[in-house]
This record gives sequence, structure tokens and C-alpha cells, in this order.
Amino acid sequence: MNRLAQEAVLVGLARRLHDRGSWGGETHLQKATYLLRELREVPFDFDFILYKHGPFSFELRDELGSMRADQLLKREVQVPPYGPRFVVTERGRELEQRFARTMDRYGDGLDWVAEWLSDRGVMELERLATALWVTREFGERAPVEERAGRLHQVKPHVSIAEAADAVREIDEMLAEASTMLG
Amino acid sequence: MRTHVRLTRAWSPRHRNRALSGRRGWLTEPVPKRHNEVRDPVHVFIEFDHAERAVIDSRPFQRLRDVHQLALSYLVYPGASHKRFEHSLGVMELAGRIFDVVTRPDKVNDAVRDVIPEHGGPEHQYWRAVLRIAALCHDLGHLPFSHAAEEALLPEGWDHERLSREIIHSPEMASVWESMPRPKPEPDDIVKLALGPRRIEKLGLGLSFDPWQAILAEIIVGDVFGADRIDYLLRDSLHTGVAYGRFDHNRLIGTLRIIPDAPEGGDAAVDPDPQLGCERGGLESAEALMLARYFMFAQVYYHAARLAYNEHLKDFLTAWLPGGRFSTDIDAHLAVSDSAVLAAIHAAAADPLAEGHDPARRIVHREHFRIAYSRRPDDIGLATEAIAGAAADEFGPENVRYGASPRRGEPPDFPVLDRDGSSVSSLSLSEVLTKLPASRDEYVFVEPSLRDRAKAWIADHRDDVIEQAMAEQAREEEVN
Repeated sequence: MNRLAQEAVLVGLARRLHDRGSWGGETHLQKATYLLRELREVPFDFDFILYKHGPFSFELRDELGSMRADQLLKREVQVPPYGPRFVVTERGRELEQRFARTMDRYGDGLDWVAEWLSDRGVMELERLATALWVTREFGERAPVEERAGRLHQVKPHVSIAEAADAVREIDEMLAEASTMLG
Repeated sequence: MRTHVRLTRAWSPRHRNRALSGRRGWLTEPVPKRHNEVRDPVHVFIEFDHAERAVIDSRPFQRLRDVHQLALSYLVYPGASHKRFEHSLGVMELAGRIFDVVTRPDKVNDAVRDVIPEHGGPEHQYWRAVLRIAALCHDLGHLPFSHAAEEALLPEGWDHERLSREIIHSPEMASVWESMPRPKPEPDDIVKLALGPRRIEKLGLGLSFDPWQAILAEIIVGDVFGADRIDYLLRDSLHTGVAYGRFDHNRLIGTLRIIPDAPEGGDAAVDPDPQLGCERGGLESAEALMLARYFMFAQVYYHAARLAYNEHLKDFLTAWLPGGRFSTDIDAHLAVSDSAVLAAIHAAAADPLAEGHDPARRIVHREHFRIAYSRRPDDIGLATEAIAGAAADEFGPENVRYGASPRRGEPPDFPVLDRDGSSVSSLSLSEVLTKLPASRDEYVFVEPSLRDRAKAWIADHRDDVIEQAMAEQAREEEVN
């Protein structure tokens, strides 16, 4: 994807999350982008590292800053103690329309990931995205217990039971995504 | 290395006399000083121990005496002739101070106590030592004239951070690590803290960070409270004479804490991921730091004339270097610093037949390209670059250059320890931070004699060029 197309897809993602009542902060966009790339083969040009709340991309953080500078997204500040959320601007919607075919191509994937993630809190997003990370590390056939143990190792505040639930949910998402991709 | 050295307990006239008396024969050899110190214009004195001195005395570190901190900015700000050497010492000093503040037992927050090694224990001491060494090493890989045109002048996949990593892992530095007392620093631990997760991600080094290591890296290279940033703002401000870069760093450092991250959404009361943040009383100092950064970026680091000189320097180096690229061989890298490049620039400027004569002449005689267009606030991201491309078609590629600051990114959202003990998002407390501009500085530069014509041509064609560039991107995406 070229730069503008990528920005259009991110706008589409932010809009879908917002429309479904998501908090729509940076963590939602980070984890949804990671899942889209890994599960729905949306070719985002971002590298991810295991960092803040699991898989995290500094390049994506910079891109969100650029999109704010370009007035495609705006940031809504919340009352303390909460962090800000991203909201799509009119200019962002215009970009989506200009890239209508790109949005057609990836729209199903965006809807799918927004359905899965929109009502999740930051802690759940961290567990799910990190479960996918360790699944990529160990392979999909690795036992749930093994992957859950690794998740607990890299995120000690996630209990083994919570980690196992997250791994099972990722397996479910993988199966569904693979059916949809054909 | 010759430094101003205060005599210390380990080697003082008193000890020397005792040694010379022959009562303890082994003392007839000088004992290395445990603590040395140098004067510094920002931090007054910087202390370092024997192990740190081994790093400072190494060839890669001494090379930094000849790498300008601000590239060719001294052509705009005459005082900006300071070097990476003293900056790296300053980063070590600040990193050590920050570490000591945030790990003080009475300053450690109960919610994150498990993440922090026991105060004074072996792990605590090991990581303090590694942190200060990593701070010294964070700039070892810089090319001559620091950041200028790095991407264009190294093979794909290489940058100064990767060179830093290679130097830290080199046989030359292995002997330095080997000379240190146990537990000796692991090179990969130094690399992680010196480069931080952002660069490790980009370089694909496959190193992961546990929460403690992530905080330590944040102490050196962090976007908000990193010692690198604090030192360069203060030091560059001092040397350029641009007062905007000053802020109350002593107050800021005194209020830094490791605390749980502030909740992002409405669902979690406490986010267990620990982060480097500050007490509520330090928020204004943090705001001042972020404002200092914003002003210094606009006034100094990405001053339009400096960006134009960057382009001329890149053009010269592309013509002068074998194959148009710096070598990534470590010995070759260490052999080239600013003096060699400057000598070549002056020689080429004086010889019309020399490779790189034109850009060298522009640097030496200060005949840099001038601004024909600067990014407007309502420009979409690709606008300025597209205009530069179209202007190059019109006026010739040799007469037009595009120059830009890096993308600024989002102002970081760090946790603030509020007076009731809760972690609060800095962006929910600070209107200053939320209003910091995010747009980058971008310019189209042209040969000075063409400036008026180019400005007129751009004024006539700007809208069409931008529309065409956007349509082209949409078409390209459809084809793919």
C-alpha cells in the first residue's frame, strides 16, 4: 500500500471502531492494526515489537501523529485520568472516499476486526495481541498451555488462566480469518 | 585522555608517599583512580569510574571528539561547534542521576515494586553500570556530521544505530568489556539500552525488552524524559545561544518516578504496565521540556538554511565517497570523522574539476539553495515533496532540492502521579501538551538565481500538482 492508501485504511479503521462505541485510543488502533496485518493480510508497512501493552509499532505512532498534522484524525482529550481518543475528521472521510476501491478491498477485514475488538478494554487488547504474538513465535500447533506460559512470561501481570483464555480466543480468530480469506 | 582530574583516595600524594616508602611493594605501581571528573559547561562536573574511563579512552569514543553535534549548523549559529563527545558524557551523567532518583526506595511506588531490583543489590548495581555505559555508547555509530543525510549515505538497512550496535559487539570493544570488573556488561544489554525499543524494532535485531529494561532504555532514549534529549536540548541551547532550549531539568529529574501507566479507556482503574512518569509537581517542567524541544526543532535542528546545507553536504559526499556510500566496515567507519570530510570539502571547493566541486563551493562560500516553497498548514502529507518533484522537472534536477524535518509524531502520553496516588494521563491534565503542533517542516529549495521564477511557477501550479499526486496514488493503489 502506498502512503495515502494506508492512511485511508487507518481512517476507515478508526471510524469503524468509533461507530461501534469503542474507546478508540491509541492502544485500540495499535492492536487492531497488528491483528489486521497478521490475520487479514492487510499490507500495512509497519514493524511491530513486543513493547507497550504487547505488540506495538513506533512507526504507526508516528503515522498517527502525521495524520493528525494532516487533519485526517483529531484527538479528543478526556477527563482525568483517561488518555485521549482518535476521531475521524471530515477531511479523513474525504480521503476514504477518494480511495473507495482500496476501502472496498479491505472493508470486510476492517469490519471484522472492529466487531471483535471494539468493546474490549486495554488489558484485554494486550492479552489478545500478545497471544497472537506468542502464537506466531511458537506456531499455531503449539499447545495452548505452552503459549499461555510464554504469554505469562513476557507479561507477568497476565495470569496463566487469562493467558490461556486469550490464546484460545486467538485460535478462534485465526480459524475464522482463515475461512474468510479462503 | 587528558582531563582535569581531582586527586582521589585511590591515588593521592599521601598514598603515593606511602607507596614509595616500599612498605607495600605492590603500591609502587600507580593504582587506577576509582573516580575521575571533568568539567562540563552544562553539568559543571561529570564523574566517571575506572570502568567508564575504559570506554571513554577507547578509539570509538575518542572519535566523537571530531563529530559535530549539530552537523553544519555552525554555519547558521556560529557557537554550534560542540561535539558528540561531551554530549555523550552528559547523557551518562544524567542517566545515572535519573536512575538514582527513580530507584530510591522511598520513591518506589508499591504497584511497581516487583519490577525494580532490590536497591543496592547485585542486579541493581549491574543495571546502573550498564545504563551509564550504554549512555556513553549511544552515539558511537554516528557518521561524520551526525545525522545529516544518513539514509542516503549508507547501504539499505544501515543507520548510525546499527553501526553503534556493531561497534559495541566489535572485538575492539570486547576487550574493553573484558577489562571491567564482574559482573561484566553483556554487549546485548548495552545495545538494548543504548538504542531503545524503537530502533531495535526498526533494525529487526530480535531483542525483546522486559518491563525493567524498557524503563532503563526510556531513561536514555525516551521521547519525554530521556537523558539524551535532556542533554542535547540544554547543551545545544547553550552553544547556539538559543534560549528556548532551557528548562528546569533539575526539578524535572527530581520528580521522575516509575509508576503504573495511566488508564487509556474507561475500563481499567489501574494499568499494571509500569512506565517512566513524573509526580504532579513535575508536570510544568515536563511541559517546558516539550516546548523547548518544539522551539529547538523549529529554530535550530531543522532551520531552513541548515536543511539546505544538509542537501549540499549529501551531494558532496555522494560525489566524494567511493561508490557514493560510507563503508559499514567498523575500522573504515572509525577512520573517518568531520575533519577529513571538511578538508575534502575545502579542497573540492578550490578545484573546479574536483568531484563534488559545486556542493563544496556552496558550503564553503555559503551560497546555499534558497526557499521557494514551505509547507502550508493545510497541505496534505505528500504535497511539498510532489511540488519539489514537479519543480525539478521544470527547472532541472540539479537546481531543486526537497528538505524536511522528520515527522514529529504524537506528543507522548506519560503517566503523572497525582496527589491522591493515582496515575493520570498527562494529556488529560495538560492543555500545553495537547496543543503542541504535530506537523513537520518541509521545504522546496532552489538555486538562488532561480528563486523568484520558481516561487511564481509554484504559486501557479501548486493546486494542480497536489491534485495530480493524490490521483496518482489512488490510481497506483487500484492497479495493485
